[in-house]
Amino acid sequence: MLALDSGALLFKDEKLPQDQREQLTVTAQGITAAYSKMSFAAVGLARQDLAAGLPFLLAVQKKSNFPWLSANLLNRTERKTWFKPHTLITAGGMRIAIIGLTGQGPDSLLTEKDNAVIAPWEEVLPKEIAQLRSRAEMIILLSSFPAAINRKIAETHPEIHLILQGGSNQGNIPPERVNNTLITQVEGQGKSVGILEVHWSAQSKRWEDPGSENLLADKKNEMDRLGWQINRYRRQGEPEQAFKNQPEVLEVYNDMLARQRLLEEEIVRLTATQNAREASRKRLSSYRNQFEAMRKDLPDNPAVRAIVDATTSEVNRIGKAAVKARISGITGQPQEGPTGNYAGSTACTSCHAPQFAKWRGTQHATAYDTLEAKGQQFNVQCLPCHITGPAAQTGQEMLALAHDLRQVGCESCHGPGRAHALQPAAAKAGQPTMATCQRCHSGEHDDRFNFSEALSRLRCGAD
Amino acid sequence: MTTMNKQATFLLLSFLALFSITAPASGALEKGKGNASQPTEALHDLTIFFSNDVRGETEPCG
Repeated sequence: MLALDSGALLFKDEKLPQDQREQLTVTAQGITAAYSKMSFAAVGLARQDLAAGLPFLLAVQKKSNFPWLSANLLNRTERKTWFKPHTLITAGGMRIAIIGLTGQGPDSLLTEKDNAVIAPWEEVLPKEIAQLRSRAEMIILLSSFPAAINRKIAETHPEIHLILQGGSNQGNIPPERVNNTLITQVEGQGKSVGILEVHWSAQSKRWEDPGSENLLADKKNEMDRLGWQINRYRRQGEPEQAFKNQPEVLEVYNDMLARQRLLEEEIVRLTATQNAREASRKRLSSYRNQFEAMRKDLPDNPAVRAIVDATTSEVNRIGKAAVKARISGITGQPQEGPTGNYAGSTACTSCHAPQFAKWRGTQHATAYDTLEAKGQQFNVQCLPCHITGPAAQTGQEMLALAHDLRQVGCESCHGPGRAHALQPAAAKAGQPTMATCQRCHSGEHDDRFNFSEALSRLRCGAD
Repeated sequence: MTTMNKQATFLLLSFLALFSITAPASGALEKGKGNASQPTEALHDLTIFFSNDVRGETEPCG
């Protein structure tokens, strides 16, 4: 058994909002601790993993019991790697080399002080493969380069047998074969885990080609159809004579003869290939893949559960301390009521009592309560979708938000309502669009969201 | 946000559980490979688990 991660393990974005940094880095450390319990053989280093800075990731590496791999994150002056470029392990009774590649992008990710650069794959990969090909029976690449570049890598380096592709993607990408390389990617956010059952021939180091039988059958079928058409012409007599006054018909006939000769050659070649494969079938490698959804009914591992609980607790402690600091530093008092353009949901009740009552029966009305129930109400990663979101933009604002703007209130859908509350006729409340809902009900959080269905279910009614 | 909770699955807690569920099957394959009728070369049986873009997420918010 072998567990690998393609990267972007620690952070979602390449830059961390300053007021969320402490909570995000604590979470990253918790994830590192959890992965260390899971016996991962290697984790690829993606650009997002550098979001808290190179020194932070180097410190994380020291606490990880798995290697972080990047063959192309180099010391700018010495051109040496900052992290292990590859690791060699034994699994399934064979030696396996795992190489890491970090996707390239704007240099602003790294500071001058880091003295680091993300080099092109062409600079480092040939050297890695040259030193590993005789030492390993299988070579796996963890790459956070985009799919098009991974295809090019596979075309250039058939010595790589498997590319586990990193990056954000809605949905899983089943293995695709390019030359002798399988490329696959599992969807992000831990929604699924990819499972590849490999039956590997260390002798041939080649995947069997499931498609060539179909190709040969297609060619034979085409040959049969062509032969039938040619015979139709020949039934008219010797074509050269029969169609001597119809040069366009004769031209079609001659084209068919040329195609027939070409097909005969292709069938001979494909038959030879298939026979050779039949003879060596036992020496080719095969695989079976599946993507297993991480269902909530799978049991928790107690050791990992403890790490997650401790991380959640620490994240919320940080948020709570930030609220206290903001209150004592700015006003000396908690924020009592909505501010700015927002009125709060309670202000709607006097004119829209039935609508307010309907809202109270929806899950929007208890969105913040669900955070409190899980002790997550001080987690700025969670807050945006559990409060009247647009009323607060920064983490600090969200944490100090007035009570009446907690929950996904009326103004989440209808927009800021203070002006409407003061002059109902002059300032009309807005109506939600799909974009309004997709602030939270995006593929990232809710990939089955149906706007029409949600609107008909949650519609408040006229006025 | 029940719908969102159902969608937002959690890798860390269940990943290890999945290993333990699947690993015995993988082990059985390895034990059995010596009996396979492949006189020329025994194939190496290996199960690879892989994850990607976990992006610092731990578990559903609420």
